[in-house]
Amino acid sequence: MEALIVHAMEQGLLYCFMVLGVYITFRVLDFPDLTVDGSLPLGAAVTAAMATGGHSVYLATAAGMGAGLVAGLFTGLLHLLLKMGQADATNYGPKLLSGILMMTALYTVNLRVMGRSNIPLLSIDTMFDRMGQAISVTMTGWRLVAALLVFMLIIKFILDWFLHTEMGLALRATGNNEQMIRSLGVNTDKLRVLGLALSNGLVALTGSIVAQQQGFADIGMGIGTIVAGLAGVIIGEVVFGMRSIGWVLFSVVGGSITYRLLIALSLRMGIQPTDVKLLTALLVVVALASPAVRKKVVNA
Amino acid sequence: MTSPEGLRLEEATKVFFPRTPNEVTALDSVNLVVSAEDFITIIGSNGAGKSTLLNTISGTFLPDDGHVWLAGEDITANPEYVRARAIGRVFQDPRAGTAPSMTIEENMAMALLRCKPRRLRRGVTKRRRNLISEQLAPLEMGLEKRLNTEVSKLSGGQRQALSLLMATVAEPKLLLLDEHTAALDPKVAETIMNLTGAIVQDKNLTTLMVTHNMELALRWGNRLLMMHKGKIVLDVEREEKDTLTVPDLVQKFHDVAGESLAVDRMLLD
Repeated sequence: MEALIVHAMEQGLLYCFMVLGVYITFRVLDFPDLTVDGSLPLGAAVTAAMATGGHSVYLATAAGMGAGLVAGLFTGLLHLLLKMGQADATNYGPKLLSGILMMTALYTVNLRVMGRSNIPLLSIDTMFDRMGQAISVTMTGWRLVAALLVFMLIIKFILDWFLHTEMGLALRATGNNEQMIRSLGVNTDKLRVLGLALSNGLVALTGSIVAQQQGFADIGMGIGTIVAGLAGVIIGEVVFGMRSIGWVLFSVVGGSITYRLLIALSLRMGIQPTDVKLLTALLVVVALASPAVRKKVVNA
Repeated sequence: MTSPEGLRLEEATKVFFPRTPNEVTALDSVNLVVSAEDFITIIGSNGAGKSTLLNTISGTFLPDDGHVWLAGEDITANPEYVRARAIGRVFQDPRAGTAPSMTIEENMAMALLRCKPRRLRRGVTKRRRNLISEQLAPLEMGLEKRLNTEVSKLSGGQRQALSLLMATVAEPKLLLLDEHTAALDPKVAETIMNLTGAIVQDKNLTTLMVTHNMELALRWGNRLLMMHKGKIVLDVEREEKDTLTVPDLVQKFHDVAGESLAVDRMLLD
């Protein structure tokens, strides 16, 4: 049982940066961004290509994240192009389409970056291995969980700080009431691009460290990222609440860990790994639809 | 006596759905000179072009033809977020002027930053928090004690008071009010209207107020415009405006429009 919990903590904390990224687009920006299915393997691909090419694993990780930032930037620009002057913030068509197009385009980019569909990384020390070596500990089990916790706290602290800056407030308002913040003289188009870049940077960072920990980068590793991200966000909000921004960021991390724990438990109960994505999709449907369904039932 | 020019529209024209059976000329070559000290009320039936006029001024869309000047500068080609630096606006829907999931102080801090670049430094500083409390206290709604409350938890009247404050706190050159009391119950509407009058006077704002309520249009401001089918059909100032009554306005409307109207909506709103 302990092994199961350690494993779920590890997975949950590895993927929490992706869930934080999805939180930024889905909740803060009100932009359901499907780019993440492509930017997660992009981070993994760039890191794998660079690390096997002899570059430092730190540099390879930073480059992976940087590639995600650029991917998000392109999604944002594509969205500007597709919405063409329409200011209607609730028009999700161009938002979904720009994400879908980027996700598809990134498949080719990722294959090009890797040169093949899978790169093994087992012979390469991960970023956390390197950190461990610096203080003479082997990064496994609880020690890896502790290292990931520290890493998560740093990222969470930066995000929390950013979302309370002048720019961060304007970013949140862009997703909350775009007309209002535009009428206060803010170029919301620019901020949306920034938010998308930030989000996909976090998602690519996840891809990079996941590839290192699992020992390979694979072209298919991004499939279902958006749904898993939504599951993490929603579970976090429901289980841990959303009192304030600072609190929600922790809730979302908690949601990521809870989600991985649920997967680990269902696998132990004999569910096939290939069935997990269907279960996740159902989970998201139930969680998203239940408030509306409840309303209908109460009103009827 | 000439006072400094606030706003000027020259031959402003806006056509919706051009070259289709639904073509509507919402603004028909409108010329308007507004002096800096004007508080103008604008009336007219539905579809007369009142909101289109405000949207053209604020830059929600660009006019098909004509020019808009603000304080001597041609702003016709400026996008909305650039013009917004000089223009405050309050809408009919109390939800339109505030970010619901953000707190009162966060909303006010964003309004204080009108005209200013948004930097990577704390939005709600101690200094700003004090300033926000000071600004909220005169509303006498107790909002200064609920700085950390999400705006979605406020009543319609409270949200509209906050919207009004947010539109004016950074002292724009021009204030646009788009039926901003129409969605409120009468007593709250009265409070918000008195607050509006006090703020406009206090900050010396050039103001355009669209309303369906003729009585309000007569009671407030120094100048009254009536619009019909995209044109300004009546423009009265000061003494002449002061002697007008609601029946006068109805009569004028019949004269210029030359057709019977659904006056009830205009009277009863």
